[in-house]
Amino acid sequence: MIVTAFFYIFAAILVASAGMVVAARNPVHAVLFLILAFFNAAGLFLIAGAEFLAMILVIVYVGAVAVLFLFVVMMLDIRFDQMREGLQRYAPIGAAVGLVLFAELVATLAGLKIAPVEAAAPAASGLTNSAELGLVIYTRYIFLFQACGIVLLVAMIGAIVLTLRERVSSRKQDIAVQHARHPADTLVMADPVAGSGMDGQILRAPGWTPALDKPAPARLETTS
Amino acid sequence: MNWTLAVPELVLVLCGLATLTIGVLGDKAKSHAGLATWLSIASLLFAGVLVLLSPSGIGLGGVFINDAFARFMKIVAIGGAILAMAVGFDSNRRAGLRHFEFPVLMVFSTAGMMVMASSANLMTLYIGLELQSFALYVLCAIDRDRLGSSEAGLKYFVLGSLASGLLLYGLSLVYGFSGSLDYAAIATALHAGAISPGLLVGMVFVVVGLVFKLSAVPFHMWTPDVYEGAPASVTAFLAGAPKVAAFALLIRVLLGPLGALAHQWQLLIEIVAVCSMVLGSLAAIAQTDIKRLMAYSSIGHMGYALMGIAAGNEAGTTATLVYLFTYVVMNAGAFACIVAMRRRGEAQTDIAALAGLGRRDPALAMGMAIFMFSMAGVPPLAGFFGKLLVFVAAVKSGLWVLAGVGIVTSVIGAFYYLRVVRVMYFDTPAEAFDARARSTSAVALVSGLATAGFVLIWAPVMAAAALAARSLLAGTVG
Amino acid sequence: MQHFFFNTDLGFTILTLAQALAVLVPLLMGVAYLTYGERKVLAAIQIRKGPNVTGPFGLMQPFADAIKMLTKETVIPADANRALFLIAPILTFALAMIAWAVIPTNNGWAVADLNVGTLYLFAISSLGVYGILIAGWASNSKYAFLGGLRSAAQMVSYEVSIGLVIVCVLLCVGSLNLNDVILAQRHVWFCIPLFPMFVVFFISALAETNRAPFDLPEGESELVAGFMVEYSSLSFGLFFLGEYANMILMSALTAILFLGGWLAPFDIAPFTWIPGPLWLIAKILCILFVFIWVRGTFPRYRYDQLMRLGWKVFLPFSLAWMVLTAGFLMATGLLPQNPGLAHTPPAIASGDTK
Repeated sequence: MIVTAFFYIFAAILVASAGMVVAARNPVHAVLFLILAFFNAAGLFLIAGAEFLAMILVIVYVGAVAVLFLFVVMMLDIRFDQMREGLQRYAPIGAAVGLVLFAELVATLAGLKIAPVEAAAPAASGLTNSAELGLVIYTRYIFLFQACGIVLLVAMIGAIVLTLRERVSSRKQDIAVQHARHPADTLVMADPVAGSGMDGQILRAPGWTPALDKPAPARLETTS
Repeated sequence: MNWTLAVPELVLVLCGLATLTIGVLGDKAKSHAGLATWLSIASLLFAGVLVLLSPSGIGLGGVFINDAFARFMKIVAIGGAILAMAVGFDSNRRAGLRHFEFPVLMVFSTAGMMVMASSANLMTLYIGLELQSFALYVLCAIDRDRLGSSEAGLKYFVLGSLASGLLLYGLSLVYGFSGSLDYAAIATALHAGAISPGLLVGMVFVVVGLVFKLSAVPFHMWTPDVYEGAPASVTAFLAGAPKVAAFALLIRVLLGPLGALAHQWQLLIEIVAVCSMVLGSLAAIAQTDIKRLMAYSSIGHMGYALMGIAAGNEAGTTATLVYLFTYVVMNAGAFACIVAMRRRGEAQTDIAALAGLGRRDPALAMGMAIFMFSMAGVPPLAGFFGKLLVFVAAVKSGLWVLAGVGIVTSVIGAFYYLRVVRVMYFDTPAEAFDARARSTSAVALVSGLATAGFVLIWAPVMAAAALAARSLLAGTVG
Repeated sequence: MQHFFFNTDLGFTILTLAQALAVLVPLLMGVAYLTYGERKVLAAIQIRKGPNVTGPFGLMQPFADAIKMLTKETVIPADANRALFLIAPILTFALAMIAWAVIPTNNGWAVADLNVGTLYLFAISSLGVYGILIAGWASNSKYAFLGGLRSAAQMVSYEVSIGLVIVCVLLCVGSLNLNDVILAQRHVWFCIPLFPMFVVFFISALAETNRAPFDLPEGESELVAGFMVEYSSLSFGLFFLGEYANMILMSALTAILFLGGWLAPFDIAPFTWIPGPLWLIAKILCILFVFIWVRGTFPRYRYDQLMRLGWKVFLPFSLAWMVLTAGFLMATGLLPQNPGLAHTPPAIASGDTK
């Protein structure tokens, strides 16, 4: 009974928040409703006994993807009035098309029954579903798993090639160079006679250049 | 786990990774684009040889099929990719695109197409399609400092994601109502039981998703803008090989697992084909930009090629395969000529820029004329044979309307192809173009010879296409 | 084992609530005294006395603070997004609490003994970023927003390496259940064979809880107090409690993943006399001390250094270590066998035809 109650709670919130994603005027609210929808979908997975999928949904979509969504949407300066202007102009056409499609869908699905369920239900083997998934993904579908990896690699190459700019002007910290520096390369211990100063000389290590990204200069030879 | 079937794909991806590594680890100050392009062409050639040698069968857990059809499609796609890469060799350098990632992305995209051609499972279909598309989205936007290129990439990406969403929805419906992801099992389930409406809805969404990738009407809206905005070398690629791969998927899905729904999808394909042919020929008339012209031209060509699928039999499939072969060849050649349209370093895409090319550069004008005549379907060029085959196949299957519309639109289409020829030969000469690169000329020469002398290679192409169609329709692997 | 009453729906609900209370009440007390403990330890590090006026040794200080916090006026900025502004601290606090549902305090003692307990904890800790991000945005203030953005990027970055570290541990366990994770450490705690991962995990935990030296989201010297600059009274109190509860949670997670949870250090007489929950508490306290110690001794990281550490050092390192662990376990045959996996299901081989 509790499970049924929770199913309806999750399902109701899921549907309501999915509706709010579309209806919300503020894009940040829309993203937050989307996150709520993800979260409730995870709850439904949990009730269906797919605890691994539920957790992965929360970790990947809610914990990472949606954060970046929110990140971007929060920083965008979206003009709501302009958006609504376009919406009002196209709303009648969109509504008409949507209505026709919906009517078709209802007409088609009216006499619907989900066909061969028995074909899809695998025999219970006593494993947790994470173990079952692992077995299928890493053995039978290893080719597709690796292909997914290549898809992600392509996305990564794309992100780099479209956004990375090697800025010549910015000064970057090169930790290896910093660590390679030795006190003797940069410090001079001078012992000037009191009152005479250093005769206006500034002692520099040979090969000293003002740029940070140059290799560390050679050891200093004291000049007098 | 018969992994030897996928050796060409595996080798191609490994070569792509090696090229990528070389580019990343190489000297940052130099551009490795040239080296990467050579390596990529070499790996594609190698993969092509491996495809020819690859055994037939279903393997890798039943998700991957290799048969004569897959081999034919893979060879055509690889050929298209190599030609496009050769087109890009010089044009990229002149356009200031020095990314070594460019050919690498093309290699990954081609690998995706090969996976698509070999799909025996709905998951393979989707992953292959996404691998191909992701690389293309990036390639379209690769000239990131130019507004047009970014716009092309973004448009293609947004609409492509929408299409992927529709496709996925359709796939999940097909899976839910047939109980399996494997083509063979779906076909069995469909032949056995009554066809549920859910399956029909799923089939429509799958067709919509795939037709989007073909840029056939009514899912063509992105094509002209993307073709115009993307760098010419990318457009050359985009207009060729990916269409072949999308056709491979469409043919395999419609004639294989969804074969039992033939009566339902036939009408759908016919409507799409008619709309594509009509829009492709009418909208192209008003174009003044050669890349936009090519976009509408490709929409029209997709319509003709779909005619063969609509026929739904071996003759029709053979016709479509031959059509695709000729299309890829003509297309690469035409883009080689378009890439050569460069004046004082600036790429020219206006048709008017071709004025008087016949006197300025007879060889280039000759090539362009051959491709335009061929696309218009003038005998004895390659395009004629493709069109003839699909018309014959349509008529034999009783699709008179389709064949009639095809012939009328061919006549209309001839008008704008011939207009390009008129501008080249009868208008007062404009300023001369920059000197052509040898790689560009080579592509134009190869494609031109294949187009003009198609009669000579007709027999083997026809035989290979017929073998491919037979292997697909027989449903047996071998 | 359970009484009949507990098998009914009502009984089950009451039992679960009682279990939850049994975990949460000590936890809240712990949070209260953690604030006291932190002030005392920091004072000791800085050679001061710390709170010593309220009650004996200042032990009533947390209560004094709580009463002060509750009686202050709640100020909501005029341009703030009211609903979200108020939800954010509640969210942070609630997330820090619900994570405790799966923490085992003794063999099999957990409110919910999930078989994906590790993933549950990881999921909950990855949600923590929302409280901060929403607070930063809803405050409608530049400083708060900057703090929120920093935090979002920081927490997402370090989650990646935390995930890989957890994978390393799970490879050695062969189960996602937290109780199994502890039982797998009967012979040797994972902090010994996986020492580098232990270090990476602890440092990432510092970043994940926004503690010094990674407290850039607050950064009081540059962002005044970051995402909580506009908060006052009870809503500020909830953030405060949430942060400390998260610290205890991450310490508990470290103890469970690497220090054997409720296990005694040696499985011999004097050690086994002490009950498991006390061992767990002792381990948590040790780790909490290190949390405070680090705060007392390390200067704050610069933001680019923080990102560099996360993406360019921890990520490749933990990835490499994960591959190494998997390779080692495969090569030596030490890979834990799930009892159900002894045979390969026949379905896997099918699908191939010649």
